[in-house]
Amino acid sequence: MNISVKIAHSVFPNPVTVASGTFGHSEELYAAKEVKCLGAVMPKTVTLHAQEGNPPRRICETPSGMINAIGIENPGIDRFIADKLPKLKKIGVPVMVSISAHSEDDFALMAEKLNAAGGLAAIELNLSCPNLQKKILVAQSAEATAAVVKRVKAVSQYPVIAKLTPNVTDIVEIAIAAESAGADAISMVNTFAAMAIDVHKRRSRIGNFTGGLSGPAIRPIAVRMVCQTAPRIKIPIIGMGGIATTNDALEFLIAGATMVAVGTYNFVNPKAPFEILQGIKAYMKTHKMTDIRELIGSIQR
Amino acid sequence: MKDIQQTYMVSSVAQVNATYFCLTLDAPALAKQVKPGQFIHIKVSDGFEPLFRRPFSVYRAQKGRVEIFFEPVGRGSKFLAEKKKGDTLDVLGPLGKPFTLPGKNVKQVVFIAGGIGVAPFMMFSDRLKGHKAEKILLYGGRTKAHTFAMNEFKKNGVKTFVATDDGSVGIQGRVSELFPKIDIASTTMMYACGPKPMMKAVAEFAKEKGLRGEASMEEIMACGLGACLGCSIPTTKGYRTVCHDGPVFNLEELIFS
Repeated sequence: MNISVKIAHSVFPNPVTVASGTFGHSEELYAAKEVKCLGAVMPKTVTLHAQEGNPPRRICETPSGMINAIGIENPGIDRFIADKLPKLKKIGVPVMVSISAHSEDDFALMAEKLNAAGGLAAIELNLSCPNLQKKILVAQSAEATAAVVKRVKAVSQYPVIAKLTPNVTDIVEIAIAAESAGADAISMVNTFAAMAIDVHKRRSRIGNFTGGLSGPAIRPIAVRMVCQTAPRIKIPIIGMGGIATTNDALEFLIAGATMVAVGTYNFVNPKAPFEILQGIKAYMKTHKMTDIRELIGSIQR
Repeated sequence: MKDIQQTYMVSSVAQVNATYFCLTLDAPALAKQVKPGQFIHIKVSDGFEPLFRRPFSVYRAQKGRVEIFFEPVGRGSKFLAEKKKGDTLDVLGPLGKPFTLPGKNVKQVVFIAGGIGVAPFMMFSDRLKGHKAEKILLYGGRTKAHTFAMNEFKKNGVKTFVATDDGSVGIQGRVSELFPKIDIASTTMMYACGPKPMMKAVAEFAKEKGLRGEASMEEIMACGLGACLGCSIPTTKGYRTVCHDGPVFNLEELIFS
C-alpha cells in the first residue's frame, strides 16, 4: 500500500500531520511511537522576534469547539532554530516550519534563516497576520497573498505552503492567487473569527476580545472550502479544520486534500493523528485501494 | 504517550456531602507515579461535548487507587457525577509540576485552602506523615457544606482551623483571618490552593512576613501538556503555562492583577 505523498520535491511517508500551534508538547513525548509515525511535524508559528502572547484568558470552550487568542507566543526565529529545531529534527519525520511576519521583508529574512538552518521539508506561511497597508489580513487579499508568496519563493530552498484564512468571501480566489505566485501547496483552513460572551459579567470570554474558532464545530465548512478549491488548483492541499476521527480525515481526503492535519483535537487526544493514520490504512484495505491517490479527490459529483 | 495516556476503571463515585463528590479510579500505575500537587486530565465524555478534558488535583493515591474530589456544577463535572462503578475513563497523567517537599529544617508546614482547593493537601499530608514539622491547615469555605475531610486531616496529624462565610463551621470570615495561626518566627513553609483572591492574600502575607511558599494555580485548560499555551498566567518570568510550568508556582513569582 502506497500512502506517501509529495509537496513539490519533498516526500512525506504518509498524509497525516498536525496543524501549527497544536503540537509541541513536552519534548519528552517526542520519542513516543505516536509522534514518530506522523507524516510530518509542524510546530507552532514562529515570528522574527520573540512574542510574549496575549493576556489571559486565551481560550474558551464552545459547542464542539474552542476559541483561542494565544497571540503567537514564541521565542523568535533565532532561538527557535537554536533550541527547538534540533529536537524536532531528531524525531526522524519530516519537519515543516510555520512562519509569520508583518512585512514581506521579514518573511524573506526568516526564509533565509531557515535555509541556513537546513533540513526542512517545507515552510508554511501563516498569512493570518495584519497587512499594514490595507488594515486587513494578508490572507484576505489575493494581491497581498501573492506578493508574500512570490517574495518567499524567490529565496526559499524549501517548498512553500500558503496557509489561508477562511474569513474571506471567496477562498478559491486566494488559493489561485497563491498558486499563481508560485506556492507549492495550500493549507486550509485557519480558524474562523469568533467570540463568546460571559453574560453575567457582560464581557468577552477572551482576553483579546475576539479570537479564532476551531474544533469539530468548523469541520463541515472547512470540508466545503477544500472541496470547492481542490478542482481549481493543481498544487496539493493540506486539509484541516476540526479533524478528530478517521472519518473526518477521510472527508478531507475525498474532498481533494492530499494531506490532513489534526489541530484542536490534539489537545483532547494526543494520539488522534496516530489513530487516524491507522484508520486511513484500514479504510484503504477495506476498499481495496493500493495507493492513497485513489482516495484523494475521489468525491462523486 | 503510553505512559501518560491510559484508560482506567472507575471503582466508585460517591457524594460525600451536600456539595462534593468523590470519584475513585482503579489505577495502580498512576497511584504509584503521582506526586502531591500534580493533576490528572480526564476525558469526561465520549463525544465532543464538552470538548476539553477536565483537570483534577489528586486527593489521594494509595493502594492502587486514585481519588479526586469535585463539585458537579460545570459542563464537565456533571458527566463525572453520573459515572458508575465499572465505567472506564481516558486519563492523561500525572501532569504538571508537584509541590516541593519541605526540607528537614522546616518547623511548620501550613496548608491554606479554599473550598475544593483542599484536595491536593490530603495526599500531601499523607506523604508528610513522617515529617517532624508541625502541620496546620487553614481552610476557608462558603458554608459547612463546602468543607470536607476534616477528620481525615486530623488522622494525618494536621491541626485544622476553619473559616466560613456564614459561620456554620469555624469562625465567620475569610481564611485570611486565620493567618495569625502561622508561626512567622519559625522556619515555615506555606502551600496554598484556592480561589484567586485567597491566593493573592496569601502571596501578600508571605511577602510582608518574608515567608516562603508555593501556590497551586487554576486556569481553563485545553491540552494539559504545555502545547496550546492556552492556560498561561502572568508571572515575574513572563507568561507561564499552568498545566506544564505549574500548576505549582513559587508565591513570589505570581502576579495578581
